[in-house]
Order: sequence, then structure tokens, then C-alpha cells
Amino acid sequence: MKEVAFGQYYPAKSFVHNMDARVKILAVIAYIVAVFLVQSFQFMGFAACLLFVLIATAASGVPFGKVLKSIKGILFFIILSAILQVFFNATGNVLVEWGFIKITDKGLLNAAFIVARITLMVIGASLLTLTTSPVELADGIESLLTPLKWLKFPVHEFALIMSIALRFIPTLLDETDRIIKAQKARGADFESGNVFKKAKALIPVLIPLLISSFRRADELADAMDARCYSGSKNRTKYKKMHLTWRDLIGVLVMAGLITGVVYLNITGFLAVVV
Amino acid sequence: MRVESKDLTFIYGEGSKNLSVTALDKVSLTVEEGEFFGIIGQTGSGKTTFVQHLNGLIKVGKDKGSVIVGEYNLSDKKCDFKSLRAKVGMVFQYPEYQLFAETVKDDVAFGLKNFAPNMPEGEREKLVREAVETVGLNYDRIKEKSPFELSGGQKRRVAIAGVIVTKPEVLVLDEPAAGLDPVGKREFIELLHKLHGAFVKTIILVSHDMNLVSENCTRAAIFSHGKIHSVGTPKEIFSRYDELVELGLDLPVTASLTRALKENGIEIDSDLTVDGFIESAAKIFAGEK
Repeated sequence: MKEVAFGQYYPAKSFVHNMDARVKILAVIAYIVAVFLVQSFQFMGFAACLLFVLIATAASGVPFGKVLKSIKGILFFIILSAILQVFFNATGNVLVEWGFIKITDKGLLNAAFIVARITLMVIGASLLTLTTSPVELADGIESLLTPLKWLKFPVHEFALIMSIALRFIPTLLDETDRIIKAQKARGADFESGNVFKKAKALIPVLIPLLISSFRRADELADAMDARCYSGSKNRTKYKKMHLTWRDLIGVLVMAGLITGVVYLNITGFLAVVV
Repeated sequence: MRVESKDLTFIYGEGSKNLSVTALDKVSLTVEEGEFFGIIGQTGSGKTTFVQHLNGLIKVGKDKGSVIVGEYNLSDKKCDFKSLRAKVGMVFQYPEYQLFAETVKDDVAFGLKNFAPNMPEGEREKLVREAVETVGLNYDRIKEKSPFELSGGQKRRVAIAGVIVTKPEVLVLDEPAAGLDPVGKREFIELLHKLHGAFVKTIILVSHDMNLVSENCTRAAIFSHGKIHSVGTPKEIFSRYDELVELGLDLPVTASLTRALKENGIEIDSDLTVDGFIESAAKIFAGEK
């Protein structure tokens, strides 16, 4: 059960861990934009993104295996989209033809392109959650969303809901594990049978889980009420966020990456046009 | 069924450098058929991990020792865990949180439906009725009720009925009396003895409550940091007062009294049950008069 948690926070002291959460969030957004800016067949752009991820991983102190594991959850999705591209892309030069299936060079290239795009995106995004604790993440998002307060958007409440949700993920995983064990002890079988049978077998887990979530929510609300919690204006934070030289370096590297990708795009574009 | 573990080792998060925790470290323990066996130890000492091996909820790892329950060898890949689980019932902490069905009847029948899917409806209902009545509830009155509209104590009884409905020979209980009021606790212990006299041959009770263990168990083991610190009758293990305190454990009331009286020069030799202690104490004090 514990393996499910995608990109769960990896506690360590490192350059990336010590960066400001806001900068990291913005950097990841910029990074994802960069990955999507890479035009098809501009594999140099992907190489730049990959280099960036490798440097960031090395600077984060998170083992490479741990970062790679984040793909595991969506591996099925990646493989599926690659297969669709390989078998059902009919453009380009035909390499193999077998009945109605045609494998073309363009199909293969597109498949590689999609795999590279999704993989790079997920790895980069998971690096954020691996190096930023849920609390920092929620604080960072709250701080970034502050301008929305002008539009009467309840930013603090939104951030609170988010941090509570993040906070309860491990708790609920433990709870799920416990309930699964309890039902297994009563002979429940979650492994055999077809999809429908497996889905039905989950009912004895989901109902107790739902009930205990409500119970926990009630208890938490009571506990917060008892301490007179209110998300008022004057509420201060235990940890204040500060920008440091690390963040400057992060921003510079990020800017370098974007410039590089855009430059490759332009030269690629020019090469085609001219 | 005899329960036996040999050099049983279990490591959480094995392979990870900073995050792995050794929950069990070469635990060898034998519980004979017919025993009312207690397992005590601090939180995190490996008690729960140990008992979850006994019905295969946690599988015995390769080269991590062995567990044998009756004729079942749990380190064997071909072990039939399903039929094992029908024979080794397990009551978890706060068992009422595992209730899910629409009616009490369905919830109690869940285990039977899994273990014996072909059992005729009439026979199944007979067993369900028996289990619900064994835990001291009126079957006809509650069978069609939703388990969620019952009181806390009733919920727990229904949950236990859902475990004993398959008539397990070994019953493992993990901190079963947590959160019960004194009356509830007393009734619960009576229920355990009733079960132990009926189809349940062996009871393994995990608890923080030293009185519960000294009062009811034939033998007990103390777990500490994934290892077995000591095994013996309550009298044997609870006489090592200072070690227990050092391990962060309480003493049962009788052991505390025996220790305090000993410090004042009065030696009382008893089996450390309340009745046994009073009997021995009464003799000594009567003699003094």
C-alpha cells in the first residue's frame, strides 16, 4: 500500500529542498511549459530538459531510483499512448505492413516523442513533491494565489483544504491498509476474478474508509474549533518564506532552459522555412 | 492448532537506507494448543507485526524464518491462506471500524460467504445466529438493522461475531478491549473465556493492559524492539519488576502490591491473579493476628 504514494516527500537536506517553495512551484510550471514547447522531432530540446532534470535530481539528494519510480503509476498510460501512436499513425513511410496494421517511421517517432514528453513532465513534477513537504507546498500555493484575494477568492481556506487533504493522505493509506487486512482476515479476496469482481470486492474496504474519513473530518473540525481556529487576516505563520541565493540560481537555470528550448525551436523553424 | 515461529524477521521498507525499520528480529515463539497467551510490549515493539504473520496477512519473507500454524507452513508458497484464515480468526484494534454491510446479518455472514460460498442459506443463517448470540446480542432484534445505528459496544460485538462465525480454532486479538468502559471490558473478558471453552482452542491476546494479561493468560511474552524479552507464566514475567519498568511497561496491580509489600518485609507468593493474591495475602495477615 505504501508504494502507491506518488512522489511522496523524501526528507533530506539539499540545495533543492532548501529552495523557496514558491520558486519551485513556478519553476516546475516553467519546466512543464518548456517540455511542451519542444516541437516534434526537436530531440535536442528534450535533451536540454533531461539535462535539467538530471542536474535538479543530483542537486536534490533524492536517489535516482526514487525519482524514476514516480513513472510507475502512469506507466500503463505511457505504454498505451505509445502503442496507439505506433500502430495507428498512418502517415509517413511505411516500414512494416501486416493486415490493417501499418507501422510507419513517423508513427515510431511520434511514439518516442510522446513517451519522452510525458516521462519528462512527470519526473519533473514529482521532483517538486519529492523535495517539498506538503505544508511548504500548501504555503507556497497560498502565497502565489494571494493576488486572487482581490477577486474575493478565499485563498486561505483553499490552501487550508489543500494542506489538510495532503496531510491526510498517509493517514488514509494506513487506514486503508488496516481495513484491507481486517477484511482479508475474514476471507475477502482482492486479487482473483475479473475487473468487475475486483471492483465489487472493494466495497467492504471503501465503505468503512468513507465512514472513518467523515469521522476524522468531524474530529478535526471539533479540534480546530476548540482552539478557536479562524483563518483571519492577522494569522501569522510559524515558518516565513524567504528568497535566498539558491532561488536566484534556480531562476537563472530555469531561464537558461527556457531560452535554450525557445532558441532550438526558432532555429528549427528557420531551418524548415529557409 | 499449535502456533510456532522460528527466527521470524520482518523489516519495513527493506532496501531503503534511512527508512527501513526492523520490526521483528529473529523471533522464535511457540504457543501450544489450548493456551490463553498474552503478548505485551511497548508501541512499536513488533507485537502487531508478529500476529499479522500468523494468518498470512504479512507473508513470511525469503530467508526470514518460518511460521507454522497447525498443519500449515506459512513460508510455503503453496500454503492455502484462505482456509488458514478461516481457522485463525483475527480481531483488530477497534474492530467496529471494519463494518460495512447494510444489515448486521450480512456483515456477520461476510466471512462465511468468503470461506464457504456454497453453504446453503439456512445453514449459514444458523451459524450467523449462533455467532451473534454468542457475543450476547439478540439476533432477531438486530439482524435487519444497519450496523451503523448500533451503539459502540454493540458494534464491536457484531464485528467480533463476524470473526468467530467461522469457528476459528485460534483467535488472535489485537488490543481488543481498547476504548471499552469497565463493564464492557468485564463482559468482553467473560466472552473470551466462553469462546475459549467452546470451539476456540487457542487465544493469543495482544494488549497494553497488564491486568488483563496477568488475570487471564496462561503464559505471556514480552516484546521489546522486535525481539522477545521474556516468555513465561504471568508470575514469572511480572516478577521481574525493574526490567519491566525499564522497558516502559506497567505492572499489574497485584505485582505492584507484591513488590510494595516485599519492600516492607512482607513476602506474598501468589500467581498474581487478584483472587490468588487475596487468598495468599489473607493467609499471611490472618496468621499475624
